[in-house]
Amino acid sequence: MKRFLLVAVLLAAVAIFAAEKYVWFDEKTPYLGSDAAGKYGGRIVVATLSGPRTMNYTVAKETSSTDVIALFMGYGGTLVELDNYARLHPAIAKRCEVELTDEGKMIVTFWLREGIRWSDGHPFTADDFVFTVNDVYCNPNIPSSTQDVIKDSQGRLPRAEKIDDYTVRVIYEEPFRLAVRYIGGLYIWPKHIAEQWVKDGTFREKWTVEAINNKELVGLGPFIPVEYVPDQYIRAVRNPYYWKKDAKGNQLPYLDEFVFKILPDLNAIKLAFENGEIDIYGVTAQFYPEIKAKAKKKNWVVGTGGPTYGTTFITFNWNHDDPVKRSWFRNEYFRKAVAYAMDKEAMIDTLLAGLGVAQWGPVSVLSPFYNDDALRKYPYDLDYARMMLQLGGFSWDKDGNLIDAQGNKVEFILSTNAGNTVREGMCNIIRDELAKLGIKVTFVPLDFNLLVNKMLNTTDWEAVVIGLTGSDEPQGGRNVWAQKGTLHFWNFHPDAAPGKQIKPEIYEAPDWELEIDRIFAENVKVLDQKKVYEMFSRFQELVSEHLPLIYTVQQLYLYAHKADLNIIEPTAFGGMLWTLPWIYWKK
Amino acid sequence: MLKYIARRLVIAIPELIVISFLVFMIMEAAPGDFLDQYKLDPSMSKETLEAMKKELGLDQHPLVRYFKWLSGAIRGNFGYSFYYRRPVSKLIWERVAATLSLSLTSLAGSWILGIALGTFSALKKYSLTDKILTVFAFSFIAVPSFFLGLLLLYLAARTGWFPIGGMISIDHNTMTAWQKFKDLLWHMTLPATALTLGSMASLMRYMRGSLLDVLNEDYVTFARAKGMPERIVVFKHAMRNAINPMITFLGFSISGILGGSLFIENIFAWPGMGRLIYQALIQKDLYLVITSGLISAVLLVIGNLVADILLALVDPRVRLT
Repeated sequence: MKRFLLVAVLLAAVAIFAAEKYVWFDEKTPYLGSDAAGKYGGRIVVATLSGPRTMNYTVAKETSSTDVIALFMGYGGTLVELDNYARLHPAIAKRCEVELTDEGKMIVTFWLREGIRWSDGHPFTADDFVFTVNDVYCNPNIPSSTQDVIKDSQGRLPRAEKIDDYTVRVIYEEPFRLAVRYIGGLYIWPKHIAEQWVKDGTFREKWTVEAINNKELVGLGPFIPVEYVPDQYIRAVRNPYYWKKDAKGNQLPYLDEFVFKILPDLNAIKLAFENGEIDIYGVTAQFYPEIKAKAKKKNWVVGTGGPTYGTTFITFNWNHDDPVKRSWFRNEYFRKAVAYAMDKEAMIDTLLAGLGVAQWGPVSVLSPFYNDDALRKYPYDLDYARMMLQLGGFSWDKDGNLIDAQGNKVEFILSTNAGNTVREGMCNIIRDELAKLGIKVTFVPLDFNLLVNKMLNTTDWEAVVIGLTGSDEPQGGRNVWAQKGTLHFWNFHPDAAPGKQIKPEIYEAPDWELEIDRIFAENVKVLDQKKVYEMFSRFQELVSEHLPLIYTVQQLYLYAHKADLNIIEPTAFGGMLWTLPWIYWKK
Repeated sequence: MLKYIARRLVIAIPELIVISFLVFMIMEAAPGDFLDQYKLDPSMSKETLEAMKKELGLDQHPLVRYFKWLSGAIRGNFGYSFYYRRPVSKLIWERVAATLSLSLTSLAGSWILGIALGTFSALKKYSLTDKILTVFAFSFIAVPSFFLGLLLLYLAARTGWFPIGGMISIDHNTMTAWQKFKDLLWHMTLPATALTLGSMASLMRYMRGSLLDVLNEDYVTFARAKGMPERIVVFKHAMRNAINPMITFLGFSISGILGGSLFIENIFAWPGMGRLIYQALIQKDLYLVITSGLISAVLLVIGNLVADILLALVDPRVRLT
């Protein structure tokens, strides 16, 4: 608790950014795990749905790869790290200062812990970090999605400089709020190994999954993957040089081995957990009651950890070719009527086995920027929905069908990706409720690829229920919310539509969309957390008021693990393994 | 004979090229490509997607890509998997052993049992055993193999007698050779059973029907009438003819040995070709799909050839020219 307070105080200090120089954290700030007290030995086996594609982080796109890479590059193998609530802590960097220069640049200085070694015994120095920033992540010849994250608001990449063997600084051309988190959180590459690959242009071909069995992987993280049997398992062993030590000065991690067992089927994962073949289990809502009921007898800990980060919503195509449909979808009262007609209780009860919460806005409840007061909520009420429709100029014909001011019957096609039973269920509930308002909805589930292509490259779609991954940091949704964002699918800008399908003469951007665009462009330049909070509150207010996306419900994070494994406070952000280096078996 | 085989193999080459082209065109005609799965990720920028498109060659005309792949394939290079960023041939090769061990076991099991029980059933026509075997066969024909697989998986979970999935234990590499063999066998029992039961049941019915047809032929009646021992009538004369349609069937079975156990491999986390191809199809991992399509086609050609040769060996009326 003391540690969290300290970090909170330090972060709050950003608010009073009066001085030009600011100490983000210093030598007195403890690193995660420094107060651990466990015992050595044992192995933990965790299920994964598919095997890794690559061990090269600049190539990796999916969690099946990045989860394995994190074992030898993450969990404290970075300069700073985040805990289960996305709060920042020092890791390899023991001190961090941020400085604004008179020319408007921002300089982040990191002081590194001395005596740290790579898993092959080679000493780690500032050179490794400078190489990682300048030659890997900021190298135009090595494209990676990391580049998009560390760019400033103008799209400029930072530059790293070595001051001495244990001090580095990173220079941005303008203030960039997320610099410490993203630059400090970069997975570091061993210069003594990877420099050659950059020089001969083979960097992205290195560290394929074959590197595991060839014992080529070198990292600063707690475990090194050493054995991969395709579609069977990945076994990682303790890094003999991992730098973290527990409260008694014992070197972490406690566990001897970490194993990812590849089980491609959710049913099989559940059975494997029940059979004792895996030690922790991210429970699905469908199986939760059953697992919970067996917990005592089987000696499991089963619980929930707050809502998860992703979002699921219904959205309409504002640029549909048919001007009549376009006018409904652009009509705010129409969207409000849909919002009032959404029976979220039914969705939670029937689709999520009661293990969910209603979602009202674009920022995750777990984010420090979430502001409940800023959100306009639309409790299920069909009378209100009817009222909204009347305000929007709609009425009903003698058969009870909803008609617009020109007398057109309101009907549209609703799609989602076929096979996602929760989303299909949502579509059915929405269709039934809208039918009560006289709206005829035809539900057409589509293959995922087809749906994505329709939404992103054509104007040939009417309404969809779809989801996006979320994060604690709203700026992660910039591609969705910026006016010219590549995922601004409900109202693509003619210049930014991936398929160039939007005719400029039909395009319209309401003022509030432009305001959201400004919020996303400006907030990263603001270092004052309070100001950023206000900006994102306004964003939440605008979205919930005007409803470009109408949010549905969010499942809770569900977990189960063997009771003799000391898993600490799992959350959607940290999962069950955020304390991996100091997880141990109690008996 | 050798000339015949050589000619068949030469004819197969244009066939295979056409098949690979068709698979390629079907993949192209289906909406979307490999990059679609990343398009709804808010953290993926347009530039990154463009860069990936270029890197994977997806910006080129489909025909250009096909002929590049074909010219590589002729030289033994089947292209790279988009997903794994590794040569397709390596990925497939890694899984061939797993698939072969499972499918050959079940192929042998289902043929031996199917023919034996089918023959038995035909000879004991309308007896109680025949009826029991018939009920047994129809139940397994009716139940899809993936459902049977799930049932067996639940059996494993309830009893704890068998592992839930996989081909080997995590400690496999530290075991002695004998322990390794037992470990493999222990893991293989359920998926092999699920695969064997389904195809064995239909083979049994085919065999029964085929043998019964032959046993009704005039020459069998004649053989019996002239006092030939029943054992010789059945096993030397009738069986030889009854087996003919089965051999054609075997040809098709061979084409399925690498990809035929898709569902079972998925259910039991068996690291075989079926799972690889299934994932590749879903991910639209183009070159992996075409190459596996090509391999299936090659096996079909070989299977048919083997069937024809076997037919020629058992049936003197068939002449290979």
